[in-house]
Amino acid sequence: GEAAATEWNVSVWGKRRAFTEHVEKLAELVSEKTDGAFTMNVSYGGLSKPRENLDGISIGAFEMAQFCAGYHRDKNPSITVLELPFLGVNNLAEEVAVSHAVYAHPAAAKDLARWNAKLLMTSPMPQYNLVGTGEPRDELAEFDGMRVRATGGLGKAFEAVGGVPTSVPATEAYNAMESGVVDTVAFAQHAHLSFGTINKADWWTANLNPGTVNCPVVVNTDAYDMLSDAEREALDSSVDEAIAHYLDNYGKLLTKWDSVLEEKGVEKVMISEEQLAAFRAKAADPIREQWIKDMTAQGIPGQELYDLVMKTLEDTRAGN
Amino acid sequence: MAGNAAVLEDDSLVSRLDRRLLQVEQVLALISGLAVFSLMVLAVVSVGGRNAFNAPLPGYVDWIEQAMPLIAFMGIAYVQREGGHIRMDIVIGALRGRALWLFELFSVLLILALMICLVWGSWAHFARSFDFAAPLWSRDSSIDIGIPLWPAKLLAPVAFSVLCLRLVLQVWAYGRALVLGLDAPAAVPLIQDAAAQAAHEAEMLTGHDDAPGDSTDSRNSQG
Amino acid sequence: MEPIEIGLWVTGFLLILVVTGMRVAFAAALAGLVGLTWIFWAKFGYDPSRFTKALTIAVKTAGQVPHSKVSSQALSLIPTFILIGYLAYYAGLTKALFEAAKRWIAWLPGGLAVSTVFATAGFAAVSGASVATSAVFARIAIPEMLAIGYNKQFAAGVVAAGGTLASLIPPSAILVIYAIIVEQDVGKLLLAGFIPGAFSAVIYGLLIVGIAMIFKTVGPPVKGFTWKQRFAALPGALPIMFVVVIIIFFVYNPFGEAWGTPTEGGALGAFVVFLMALWRGMKWAELKSALLETAKLAVMIFSIIWGVLIYVRFLGFADLPGAFSDWITSLEMSPMLILICILLAYAVLGMFMDAIGMLLLTLPVVYPAVMALNGGEAVSAADSAFGMNGTMCAIWFGILVVKMAEFCLITPPIGLNCFVVAGVRDDLTVQDVFKGVTPFFIADAITIALLVAFPGIVLYLPSLAG
Ligand code: NA
Ligand code: NA
Repeated sequence: GEAAATEWNVSVWGKRRAFTEHVEKLAELVSEKTDGAFTMNVSYGGLSKPRENLDGISIGAFEMAQFCAGYHRDKNPSITVLELPFLGVNNLAEEVAVSHAVYAHPAAAKDLARWNAKLLMTSPMPQYNLVGTGEPRDELAEFDGMRVRATGGLGKAFEAVGGVPTSVPATEAYNAMESGVVDTVAFAQHAHLSFGTINKADWWTANLNPGTVNCPVVVNTDAYDMLSDAEREALDSSVDEAIAHYLDNYGKLLTKWDSVLEEKGVEKVMISEEQLAAFRAKAADPIREQWIKDMTAQGIPGQELYDLVMKTLEDTRAGN
Repeated sequence: MAGNAAVLEDDSLVSRLDRRLLQVEQVLALISGLAVFSLMVLAVVSVGGRNAFNAPLPGYVDWIEQAMPLIAFMGIAYVQREGGHIRMDIVIGALRGRALWLFELFSVLLILALMICLVWGSWAHFARSFDFAAPLWSRDSSIDIGIPLWPAKLLAPVAFSVLCLRLVLQVWAYGRALVLGLDAPAAVPLIQDAAAQAAHEAEMLTGHDDAPGDSTDSRNSQG
Repeated sequence: MEPIEIGLWVTGFLLILVVTGMRVAFAAALAGLVGLTWIFWAKFGYDPSRFTKALTIAVKTAGQVPHSKVSSQALSLIPTFILIGYLAYYAGLTKALFEAAKRWIAWLPGGLAVSTVFATAGFAAVSGASVATSAVFARIAIPEMLAIGYNKQFAAGVVAAGGTLASLIPPSAILVIYAIIVEQDVGKLLLAGFIPGAFSAVIYGLLIVGIAMIFKTVGPPVKGFTWKQRFAALPGALPIMFVVVIIIFFVYNPFGEAWGTPTEGGALGAFVVFLMALWRGMKWAELKSALLETAKLAVMIFSIIWGVLIYVRFLGFADLPGAFSDWITSLEMSPMLILICILLAYAVLGMFMDAIGMLLLTLPVVYPAVMALNGGEAVSAADSAFGMNGTMCAIWFGILVVKMAEFCLITPPIGLNCFVVAGVRDDLTVQDVFKGVTPFFIADAITIALLVAFPGIVLYLPSLAG
C-alpha cells in the first residue's frame, strides 16, 4: 500500500502536568524530526485506566504508555528494585540514571517483553517525603504508632519502625488527614500540592528520602519494530532531550515548593544522620533482603539488579 | 425493574430449564448481596480497629476493590431473567404478538453475541493476570498489600457465561413464541405496562413497613 | 473515515438500539465494541485479512473494562446506600418519621401535606432511591390526608413530588454515579446535595402553605398535639439522625476534624440502620430478601456503568467528547444560555428515559463540554464564565442535572414516581397523580432557576470543606 503516515496513540492519565512533560516533548520532537510523518496523540485517560496501561500495550490497543511499577508489582517484578525503600537516591538526575540502567538490564527487558512492551524512558519522581500534623517526628522512636498513608513497599518500611500504614485512596488523603485517619502522608511534592495535603500539614521531612515510585514509559514492541529506520532514529534520539526538558520543568516546580512551605508555615524537618542510619538498618535492610530472596525464587537476578542500582549511583556521583 | 411475577412458568422443557437455571442465578445473586453486607462489616472493623486499637485493617481499600466484582457481576443473569436491566420500552411496549417476539428475539441475539465477545475479552483479561509459574499464580496484584487480582478478574467471565446460558434460553423461548405465535410465553420477562410494573414494585417495597418482623412477607415467597 | 465521524455513526447506532428497547447496559457495550472494532480496523486501512486482528484488539480492550471499572472503592458507596434504604423499612423508620413530622408541623395551613414533605425529606436521609420513597409514603400518608378531607389528586401529588427529594439529600446513589463518571470528589458532591435538597423541601412546603391559604384542595390543619406527645415521637425517628450525623460528619465536620472518609461513613450508616432493624426483630429471611433486592438494584446499576464505560472507552479512541467541547465553545451564544439549553434538553430526554441511564449515557460527552464552557478544569473563579472554579462548576452542574433528573420523575408521560403512587392506590389513576403533581413542576422550575441564579446555595457547604 501507500506509505501511510505513522500515528501513535499514547495512553497517560490525569491532566497534562510536570509528570507528563517528557511525553509531550517527545511527541513534539518526533513530529519535528520526521516533518510530521510520525505523530503521537497523547490521551489523558481516554484510552485506559493507569493500572491497565500495560494490558493495553500487550493487546496492541495503543503504541505507547506510561505506568508506575508499584501499581501492580506482580506485573513487573524486576523494576520494583527501583521502588525499594531508602535506596539513597537524592535527586531526579540520579533517579534517571538508576532507572535507565535497570531498564537496560536484560532481566528487566525480559520481564516487560511478556507484555509485548519495551522500556523507553523513565518519569523520574522525587522522594516520597512525609507531611504530617502535630509535633514534627524527627526521631525513629517517634514513628512508633504513627498512622501513615503510604502504599506498598514504603508502607512496609514505615511498619518496620512501628508505623501503622493506613489504606486511603490518594483522592481521600486530604480528608483522611483532616479527620485524623492518618497522621502523615507520603507523596511526591506535586501530589502534596494537587491533593491538598500540604494545606493540612505542620511539617515536611526534607531529607528522610524514604523511596519513590518508578514510572516508566513503554512502547509496544511490534509497533516499534514496524517503524521505518528514520522514524525509529527520530524516536530514540529524542529520549535524552525529552528527559532534559522534564528535569528542567520539574526543577522549577521544586523551587516553588520551598516558597509554598514558607507561605503555609510548614516546618522543614531535617533528620540527623544517625537517625537516618538507624532507620535504614531497621526498615531498608530486611525489606531489601526479602525482596532479593523473592526475586531469586522467581528466577529474576535480584542481587544483580540491586548491585546495579548501587553501582550506578556511585558512578553518577563520581561523574559529577 | 419488573419483579418475579412477570416470568410465567409451565411444563415446557424451556420453562423447566429456566427454573433450574434460576436456582443457580439466585445463589449467585445472594452471594452478591452477602458481599454488600461484608462491605458494611469491613468498614466497622476498619473504623473500630483504627479508633479502639490503633490497628486499621491492612489493605482496607484493596479488600473493597476485591469485593466489588462480586457485587457488580454475580447477579447479572438473575437480573436479566427478571427483566430487571433497564431499557426504554416506549416503542417495544406498543408492539404485540409476533412483532414483539421478533424484536425481543433480535435484541436478545445481539446481547448474546456481545456477551460471548465479553466472555472472551474478560477471560483474556483474567488470563493476563494468571500464571501457574508465579507465586500465588499471580501476574497482577493490588496496589497496597499485593493481593493477587486473578480471582476477582475471573468473576467477570464466570458471571458472563451464566448470562450467556440465560440468553440462550431466552433466544429459545422468544423463538418459540415467535414460531407458535404465543400470547404469553413462559421463561421470559413479559412487558407489564408501566402502571402494573409500578404497582408490583410498590407492593414489594411496602408491606414490611406495616409489619416489621413479619417473616411471612410476600417478598420472601419466591425464595 | 475520521475517528470523529466513526464516533458520530456509532452514537447514532446506539440511539437506535436504545430507542428500539435494547437494555441500556448492553446497547452501550455493544455500540462501544462495534465502535472499537471499526476504529482499529480503520487503522489497518480496512484490510480484510486484518479484520480478525482488529476485532481481537477491540474485544480484549472492551473485556478489560468491566473488572477494571467496577473495582473502585468509591463505587462501593452505591450498594451500601441502597442497602441502607432497604434496611430502613425493617427498622420501622418511615412510620416513625411521619408520626414525628405530623406532631411537630401539622398545625400549619396544609399541615399534613407539609408534614409528608418533611417526612419524605427525612426518609431521604436514609434512602438513596426516589421511587422507593414515593411508594412507602403513598401507603402511609395518603390515607391520613384523605381522612381529613384532602383532594385525592393533590394528596397523591404531594407524595410523588416528596419522593424526588431522596436523590439530592445524601445518601444518594445517583450523586455517587455522577461523581464517578466525572471523576470528582464523592464527599463534596454528597455534601453539596444537602442544602439544595432541604431547599427543595422548603419550597414545596411554602407552595403547599400558599395553596392551602387560597384553594380548598387541602384539608384543615391538624392541631392539639401536646409537647409531651411531640417529644415522645422523636425516639423512633432518632436512628435517622444518627445516620445523617454519621454520613455528614464522615464527609465534613463543621465543628472540627471529620470522623473518617465518605466510604466508611456510608457503610457505618448502613450498620446503624442494620442494628436498628435487628432490634425491631428482623429475621434472616428478611435480611436475605433485603440483600437480594440490594444485589439486584446494584447489579442493574453496575451493568449500566460498565456497559456505558465500554462505549466511553470507544469515545476516547474516537475523541468525540473533545470534538463536542470544541463545537460547544465555538458557538456564538452566551455560556449561560447554552447551559440553560442543555438543562432543557435533559428535561425533554428525561421524559422518556430513566434518570441513571440518561445521565450515564450523556455525561461523558456533555460534562467535558460544560467544563470547557466554564473555561476548563483548571480555570479560576475570576476567569470563568459562570463565576466559579473548575471543581465548583463540576459540583454545581452535578446538582443541577440530578435535580433535572428528579424533575423528570414527576413529568408525563413516564414520570416513574407518579406511576408508583398510582400503583399503590387502587382509587387513583396515573392521570390523577399527574394532575395533582402539576403545582410541584412549578416549584421545581423555581428551585432550578434559583440554583442556576444563585450557585452559592449549592456551593456553600462544599466550599467550607476545602
Ligand atoms: Na437520599
Ligand atoms: Na418522566
